[in-house]
Amino acid sequence: MDAVLRQVEQLPALLAVSRSAQVRDWDCLTLDRALEWARYFQHLHHRFRARPQLREALGRRLRRSQPLPLLGFPALGRCPQLLGLALLENRALPPAACRCLLRGLLPPPGEGSGCDPRGLALLARRKAAARLLALVPGPEGQLQAEARLLLGRLREEGQEAAEAAGQLPWLRAALEQLPQPRACGVVAAALALLPQGCGTEQAGDTDRAAGSSQGGYQAGAAGDGCAAGLLLSWLLGDQERFSAFCLCLPSSQLAFLAGHYSQLSRSYLDLLTSWGSRLVYDPLQGRWVKSCLDKAELSWEELRERFICLCQGPALLREQTQAALELLRTRDGDFKVRGLSVWTDLLMEVGY
Amino acid sequence: MAQDPTVPKLNFEYWLDKAIEWGQATTLESQKDVCLHLSQLQEFLHQLYEAIKHLGPTVVIQQFPLIGQLLGRLCWNPFVIGYDESQKTLMWCLCCLYSSEPQNAVELKANSWVRSLLCHLLSSSKWESNEAETSAFISALGYTSADYYCHLVKNMVVSLVRELRENQFNGLNIQESISASRVNAVSIFCVPLITLPDLAPLLETLLLYHGGSSKEILSSEFLESVNEAFLKKKISLPESVVFSLWLRHLPSLEKATLHLLDQVLSIQLNSLEEVACVIKDSLLPQAASHPAIFRIINEIFKSALMETDGTSEVLTVIQVFTQLFLQDHQNENKQHKFPLKAYFPYHHQPLVRRLVRRPFELPTTYWSEHVKHISDMVKALVEDTNASSLTDLFEIWFLVACFGEWLDIAAEQLLKAAVEPDPVLWLLAFYYCPKNENQQRTQTVVEAQAVYSHLMMLFNCADLSLKDLEAAVHRVMGTEQCCNQQFTTHLLTNFLLFSPGGHKIAQECIYHITEITDTSKEVHNLLIRTAHRFNHSGEENQRTVKLLNELLQKLTLKV
Repeated sequence: MDAVLRQVEQLPALLAVSRSAQVRDWDCLTLDRALEWARYFQHLHHRFRARPQLREALGRRLRRSQPLPLLGFPALGRCPQLLGLALLENRALPPAACRCLLRGLLPPPGEGSGCDPRGLALLARRKAAARLLALVPGPEGQLQAEARLLLGRLREEGQEAAEAAGQLPWLRAALEQLPQPRACGVVAAALALLPQGCGTEQAGDTDRAAGSSQGGYQAGAAGDGCAAGLLLSWLLGDQERFSAFCLCLPSSQLAFLAGHYSQLSRSYLDLLTSWGSRLVYDPLQGRWVKSCLDKAELSWEELRERFICLCQGPALLREQTQAALELLRTRDGDFKVRGLSVWTDLLMEVGY
Repeated sequence: MAQDPTVPKLNFEYWLDKAIEWGQATTLESQKDVCLHLSQLQEFLHQLYEAIKHLGPTVVIQQFPLIGQLLGRLCWNPFVIGYDESQKTLMWCLCCLYSSEPQNAVELKANSWVRSLLCHLLSSSKWESNEAETSAFISALGYTSADYYCHLVKNMVVSLVRELRENQFNGLNIQESISASRVNAVSIFCVPLITLPDLAPLLETLLLYHGGSSKEILSSEFLESVNEAFLKKKISLPESVVFSLWLRHLPSLEKATLHLLDQVLSIQLNSLEEVACVIKDSLLPQAASHPAIFRIINEIFKSALMETDGTSEVLTVIQVFTQLFLQDHQNENKQHKFPLKAYFPYHHQPLVRRLVRRPFELPTTYWSEHVKHISDMVKALVEDTNASSLTDLFEIWFLVACFGEWLDIAAEQLLKAAVEPDPVLWLLAFYYCPKNENQQRTQTVVEAQAVYSHLMMLFNCADLSLKDLEAAVHRVMGTEQCCNQQFTTHLLTNFLLFSPGGHKIAQECIYHITEITDTSKEVHNLLIRTAHRFNHSGEENQRTVKLLNELLQKLTLKV
């Protein structure tokens, strides 16, 4: 077992090398060895996935050997594809080794089994399918897919019972790969999926039902809580980021999320409050306008729409919003006439 | 390597022109055209691969200088990549262009180009800007593009299915309904993907989808392709979905019926149970619970009969089909079961009611009476001067032929029970010789009566020899009319099976007949049907059963 643990430590290094320029010295033999390792790691995954203690041990060892815990136990199962595709994309791989790689990835008919051992033909087919189905304009499937993978990964972490604190840097690093509006969209989609309980479906075990769903439902629920917690920490941890998040998402989606996550609703209301406080009344135009034409704030109309959406949410959210508005109105002097306090006007708009 | 002259001439220019014409398949016409050519293209790619797989990359380019253009363009056509196994073959072809030891700049460039294309197909490509961010994110999560696209496709399918289903119930609300052109477009985009398992829910939802309009909104390419895939057993669909497909697309139903006939006629089936199995698998008897489907299948059967001149195999298919249909129909507990009249609208209903009674529903003592009633009714219908057109005659004949079980029982009863022979003989004569313009049928009846009397005289003889039956055998061989031949063979075979003295000479006699005449198939068929009946109703006489099995074995080897 000790030997296995030491071997598993090599995985991150192997993947790192396969993405680096070091492969330019590889020949066919080295390549075959690397692919053998990948198959071996996959074999380990299959052997140990139904045995929680060994899983955990392997997962812990794997995590220890990386600066950022990108890879957990499930990554062992994906090793052949991870390695194969990384090498395919690595231009430093010399032609001779690359030829071996191609033969290994796409075995021609007659050699070995007729079916596709690495599922690469299926991948190409699915990629084409995604393009075809995208020809019909519709809701962004891409965002949903990314959100599901993110959740899958978070759940995997949750099942490994790793400390939450250690995961935040990793999450941050991953989300940094996306431009901010998109990252916000993905996190929003992920948070929206969680309350719907999208099951204990492991994102990594794509084609076959994972055997790892033992006690899956409970672990799933706990994992969901963890995942939500992490996502919210990421979101609320940076004021600028949170403000951008609230600006780029539609009000209905934000209201939905606020209805399900109380920390979110509090922060959201605080943010709306600060934006609302900066509006001034223009008596000549007879309406509330922004004090400075800073784009990173809401206009009166947008603010009103946000509050209306919030008041259409679940009862708790409605009450919370109403209470907040009333408090603000009182603080401002409890006017019942338009044009004096933005909160009075808002309350009138939402019908209270 | 020298050019191999035995390699078949590939239609390279044709496909290159097509690939250029299609581009990335962004217009409706190009999309439909691609869909029509998908399977031929796959075949061509396979042949191309076979032609180049043992050649080095430089030789390949010498022989097919434009191969790069062709493969490159096809790689950008999602219809081609999404279809069946085309993506595999295309990638193999690309690998053939990769050199492990590039000697010059051309080969280096080719290598780089091959890798870029493969990356485009399998992971992220430098040519598509929006993929770069996503792939970085996916990598950071520790996943591969395989995981991503698996989820992406599943999600897209789920959202399309939801959209279609929600719209079903809102069918009355015109403003919210999805436009017909949108659904049509979805059906075209699905054509290459029919055999992709992820798409199954979408296929089923589309096939069950009914928009507000009365015109068919699913594209015919889609409906045909789904039917093809189903008939070739490349996909499996729930029964209700298959029925929906056949109800909305007549050519698919026709193809399915013809496919069934081909199947049954092309293999040597040794028992009626095997025939029944194949027919049941086709789902046609179950689908026939819809009267429209039942009637169309019967029309196709009628054409098949006329084309093959009433061969006994087709008749057997029709008879087994009808039996299975009846079984299914009677077992159903649906409240809205259609009445029999819906399936046989133009026929005399009392006759229909008698014919659909399964023999095992009646005690065997009533069988002769039942047959007599059937015979009398058919006779009355046929001899009615108002209904004497050839078409009407054919319709009545076809109806009776569908329920061939009763005819077989009638022939058996002639020899086993004390029955009034004339009505039975008339009915069988009608079956074998329906037309009577030149009194053929009347003559057949007379002939049959003669044969029957002769056989009955010999019935209780213990010691029979072939010579005793010579007169009857001569009738079989000598007549010009084949209908008489078949009728006599039927009577003779039954005699051999059921008379005590016939057993000894049965093999010899049947061998003799089938040697001289062309009736071995008919005899084989008759024996199979009799065996099936014995299995279900139980024949008490063990010697008869044994004889039957022996005869079948011998004949099976011969046929």
